[in-house]
Amino acid sequence: MFTLLKLELEKLFRARSFYLSFIVLIGFVVLMLWGFYTYAARKTGGEAVEQFKYTYESKQYFNGLTFALYSLLFSFTLLLPIFVSMSAGSQIAGEARTGTLRMICTRPISRASLVLSKFLVTALHAGLLLTFFIGLNLVVGLIFVGWGNLELYPGPLNLVDAPGKIMRDDALMRFGYAALSGTWALLVIAALALLCSVIFDSPVQATVMTIAAYLTLYIVGRVEFFEHLRPYFFTTDMDFWRDVFKPEIPWQSLWHYASVCGAYTAGLLLATVVIFERKDIVT
Amino acid sequence: MWVKLILLLLFCLMIAGAVYFAEPSKSEEPNSTSRTPQGSLRLLTWNIGYAELEDDTRAHDKDLPAVADVILREDPDAVALQELTGDAQLKTLLGLLKGRYRGAVAQQGSGDRFEAVLVKDTRATFTPVSARNRYALAASFRSRRDSPEVVLLSAHADAFNAARRRAYTEELIDWAQQRAQSTPIFIAGDFNFELKAANESNLYTDNLKHDSESYSHILRSFRDLGRGAGDTAINDRRIDYIFGPPDLNRVGRVEVLRNAAVGRMDHWPLLVEVGF
Repeated sequence: MFTLLKLELEKLFRARSFYLSFIVLIGFVVLMLWGFYTYAARKTGGEAVEQFKYTYESKQYFNGLTFALYSLLFSFTLLLPIFVSMSAGSQIAGEARTGTLRMICTRPISRASLVLSKFLVTALHAGLLLTFFIGLNLVVGLIFVGWGNLELYPGPLNLVDAPGKIMRDDALMRFGYAALSGTWALLVIAALALLCSVIFDSPVQATVMTIAAYLTLYIVGRVEFFEHLRPYFFTTDMDFWRDVFKPEIPWQSLWHYASVCGAYTAGLLLATVVIFERKDIVT
Repeated sequence: MWVKLILLLLFCLMIAGAVYFAEPSKSEEPNSTSRTPQGSLRLLTWNIGYAELEDDTRAHDKDLPAVADVILREDPDAVALQELTGDAQLKTLLGLLKGRYRGAVAQQGSGDRFEAVLVKDTRATFTPVSARNRYALAASFRSRRDSPEVVLLSAHADAFNAARRRAYTEELIDWAQQRAQSTPIFIAGDFNFELKAANESNLYTDNLKHDSESYSHILRSFRDLGRGAGDTAINDRRIDYIFGPPDLNRVGRVEVLRNAAVGRMDHWPLLVEVGF
């Protein structure tokens, strides 16, 4: 198992797509910085001040922690799941496409161990991506926007229903929690992509199917027509990771949804192992 | 085989965890709104207009007996109403209330509908409050002869433009803050704020920001008394509010009267009891 893990790690670190995912995230942070900077400048002076007498959007509100929070929440919804799908979707189907899957399966290793080692490597990739992204946002926020407390208001980001504040040191700790809860939530996508990777022989097909399923449920879950279906979508449960940014973390709810996500992950992985063990590998 | 067993065990463990940490359903939660304080002030706010699909979305005369029934049954000290067609409709309603309430409608602003306040106190005074091309109406009254004077402001913010809601709210709060030092002020009405946080992850929009600014600005000086009562309008919206002084002794019954709407009304009345 450890040899398998070592080999999979080597493959991961040699893949260009691994580094590409980090480069794209850096590009996203640059884009966010530009948008945040110009928006903050517009909303803390000029027309906004003339139109409205009172505003919470003072320069103090637009600080590095707020920047990191917005950047993280925006990217988590749409960007990070794509990279996780790509990474997991290419694990088995990629081997099949390059013709190495048959060779690997002729070795004296169980197929279940192979699936598990590939999943663990994908989980590591997801964790590294998220940790890197959070760290980068905090560093960029500190250098270009400045420190302050994390102020939260009802409405934007939908985190609180009354104004709240998290002090700077506590807020930094919350970003650490977010790296863990976010990675745990992303594992559902990773497990789904790995299942698709076993079902389809093309990594592109596996990735596209995963992203399509994720986006479909995500979008449908936001349309009020399907409000009664929303609780049954894994995308709804995945949202639990954001709770660490609430002034009072709702621990019970957080553990509940974390467990639901864990059940999805374990269930999908089990299905992957069962299907892969019965699969006739012809490529 | 062991991998499958571990995964199966993990799956079962996670299901058990999800069940164990599941939050109690609303019916199991303790009812924090059933306590009725002694010497309380009972306030009710209700937008009695119709949903947008109707030809005339203002209040309809045929619904006034039902509105009067609710008011007589709940017996509030003061009522903030929105979307009346005018003074004639108010007079009809006061007649249906059998002379137990006095009332007034606000001046006509840029729209075709009026805010109104009804109070039991026969010595109550009514003051129009101008805010961004609209008029709210304030009533100064006493719930009992020996109780201190309070002010109830009936307000209705723009339904279609969040920036206008924000500017309107700012002016109302300015007016209220000038008087809040000497008299307890309650602000009630339909503010149309779209701020629902539960289980949603909208991306950032200017409309959300404006509503957030408005609501947060009110909460700097006032307390949202109906926060725990749930939705006040169709489509799961909580857009009707009663804001009160932050230092109230007690908040008793807080309830949205969900069986009260008749015809094609899209709001339910919000009832709040507070103690001084």
